[in-house]
Amino acid sequence: MPARRWLRSLALPSLLQAWPWLLVALALLGVRLSKGAGLSDAYAQLSRPFWPGTAQAEWLRSARRFEDTARIGALEAENARLRGLIGLQQASPQRLTAPVIAREPAGWWQTLLLGRGSLQGVSEGQAVLAPGGLIGLVGAVTPGTARVTLLTDPASRVGVWVGRTRHHGLLTGLGTPRPVVRFLEKDPGVVPGDVVTTSPASTLVPPDLPVGVIQTVDAVADPAPEAVVQLAAPVGSVDWVQLLAR
Amino acid sequence: MVLLSRHPWFAASILVVPLLTLAAPAWPRLSGVGPCWAILWLLPWALADGRRSGVLAGATLGLLLDSLHRGGVSEMPALMLLGWWWGRIGRLGAPVERSFSLGLLALLGTVVLDLSLMLQWALRSGLGAGSSLPGGAIDPAPLAQPGWHLHDLAGSGLKVLLARTLLTALLAPVLCSLQLLLWRQQGGGLGRR
Repeated sequence: MPARRWLRSLALPSLLQAWPWLLVALALLGVRLSKGAGLSDAYAQLSRPFWPGTAQAEWLRSARRFEDTARIGALEAENARLRGLIGLQQASPQRLTAPVIAREPAGWWQTLLLGRGSLQGVSEGQAVLAPGGLIGLVGAVTPGTARVTLLTDPASRVGVWVGRTRHHGLLTGLGTPRPVVRFLEKDPGVVPGDVVTTSPASTLVPPDLPVGVIQTVDAVADPAPEAVVQLAAPVGSVDWVQLLAR
Repeated sequence: MVLLSRHPWFAASILVVPLLTLAAPAWPRLSGVGPCWAILWLLPWALADGRRSGVLAGATLGLLLDSLHRGGVSEMPALMLLGWWWGRIGRLGAPVERSFSLGLLALLGTVVLDLSLMLQWALRSGLGAGSSLPGGAIDPAPLAQPGWHLHDLAGSGLKVLLARTLLTALLAPVLCSLQLLLWRQQGGGLGRR
């Protein structure tokens, strides 16, 4: 009993005096058990002003773009060589830039009027590209202007395919902002999100031009399954387009 | 035809219609669809200058506008009919001056014009709604037929008609009354009984 009293009289004041050190010890134990999480986070917060800035991220993006451009160029050259070997239409013909001088994206006729005509080498049937992909075909040409029939116009018919499933279809304008693909197979097997490009078998337009992305699929449509396509190019706001030589 | 015979150069104002159709200004639009500029010019002209001038103006407008559009349909028959009708109204009845009357005439005119286009497309489309070949294969020929088809006309075609009609009827009281005043000041409507 006396020993226990002595221990109590010794431990209580010591503990009262040493509590800050106990806290430090507990904190160190916590750091050790969390494998330095607190330290790392504290360092991250303190060093945030000195982190790599947006300039370095932009350099990386620029380098990636350069790499992609070079790779695309090499692939296009290889693709052209292979298509030449098997006698198909060239995928990357010459391009002519033209300004949009009038637009009618809705109504009975959905067209663009371009400020380039036959004098500049534009001819009927040329594919018209905007940033994002194909937007239509040249429907009529005057010496100084060209009228583009947009893909959304009901008079527009373009052969397309879905690369993932390799199923062909006919891109058909409905007079609405989104055309539909009417497939030539009963079971095209496409799903929303599939990318639609011009058909490699097309004789009207260069192959593999991006067109849009499938939004919804109606597999039981009559007479053919169809899918609504969101066009990749902003038809209503484009100011300059590119015409592909045939 | 007093206006046309006395001031034939006023008829040159008809060129504003194809120019506005080409320019397709972005501000007067409803659901992306612009008004029918041909109606907005033809209505006051025919009211002020009579049947024969109205028919001539309708035919000229039809030729001009058909040259701008492809598709094998024509706006000329409907515009000629409207020119004749409005010219007759301008000669026989009391002078049309109220905004409501102008708006109503423009509304009916746009409906007639757009229905004539829809009818032509429907006739061209015929029964080309698609079919299946023996063995369940899909016949691509009807699918490849370009132009407005019956189901498109019943869907988005109807929306275009409604938007164009409403917008034209809303603009008509302002634009047509000003033109009507101008043409009447220049001698139009002198032949009224």
